[in-house]
Amino acid sequence: MPEDYIVAIFPSLAQSNYKITSPFTIDYNCIAWAAGDIEKWWWPSSDTYWPPGLVRENTLRSFVSMFESLGYESCESQESEPGYEKIAIYHNDNGRPTHTARQLSSGLWTSKLGKLEDIEHETLKGLEGQSYGTVAHIIRRHLQSPEPTA
Amino acid sequence: MALSQNTDIKTTFHELADTWRRETGYMSSAQDMAMHPAYQRIMGMGQPAIALILKELEAKPDHWFWALRSLTGENPVLAEHIGNVKLMAQDWLSWGYKHGYV
Repeated sequence: MPEDYIVAIFPSLAQSNYKITSPFTIDYNCIAWAAGDIEKWWWPSSDTYWPPGLVRENTLRSFVSMFESLGYESCESQESEPGYEKIAIYHNDNGRPTHTARQLSSGLWTSKLGKLEDIEHETLKGLEGQSYGTVAHIIRRHLQSPEPTA
Repeated sequence: MALSQNTDIKTTFHELADTWRRETGYMSSAQDMAMHPAYQRIMGMGQPAIALILKELEAKPDHWFWALRSLTGENPVLAEHIGNVKLMAQDWLSWGYKHGYV
C-alpha cells in the first residue's frame, strides 16, 4: 500500500506502481540488499562494511569495482534480460553514489530505502529526483543455473 | 551542571535527534547522514552529548558512530562487527559502561 511519507521523499513514485515489501530496519541498506546481504550496512566509509581489499571511495568507479568483484559487468540496457540479474546505481549532481536497486526476475526493481523499508517499484525513474539523483550506471551478472534435482 | 541546564540539553538533543532521524531515513551514506545540520549540532554539544547519544543508541541503534568517535577520540568497535549496526552499538555501550557514561 502506498505510503505518503515515501512519496514525499520520492515524488516520482506517485506516477508508477510500488509496494512496501519489508518492515523498516537499520540492519542493512540498499547496497547490502542489492548484494544479497541483510545483516550489514555497506558503504565505502570507516564505520560501514565494504568488501576487504577494495578501495573505500565514495565514487561511482568504486561502487562499480565492488560489484565487479561480485561477478557483475557493466551493461547498457536496464531492460530485463533472461538469465541476468541487473543492478542500477544512482548518483547525485556531484557524481556521488546515493542508492542501488536490484532487478527481480519479474522485471520489477527492489530497493532498500536507507533505514526505511524495502520496496518493489515498477521503474527506476520512480526513485529519481532530489533524494537519489538519477541512474548513473547499470551492471548485470549471469544468474546461476538451478542446482539439478535428484 | 544545573538541573535546568541539563534538562535543556536533553530537550535540545532529542529534538535534533528526531529531526536527524526523520530527514536522513532514506539515506545510505553514513557520511551524508553525519553531514546533516542536526547531527553536526549534536556533535557541537561536546562532552554532554556522549551519554545522550549512548542512551539513544541503546534504545534505537543508528549511525551515531562518527559522532562518538569524534567526541571521545575512541573506537571500541571490533573489526568483525563493522557494518553490523546493532553489534557496533553494543560495542559502544560496553565502552560507555566501562567509562561511566551509561
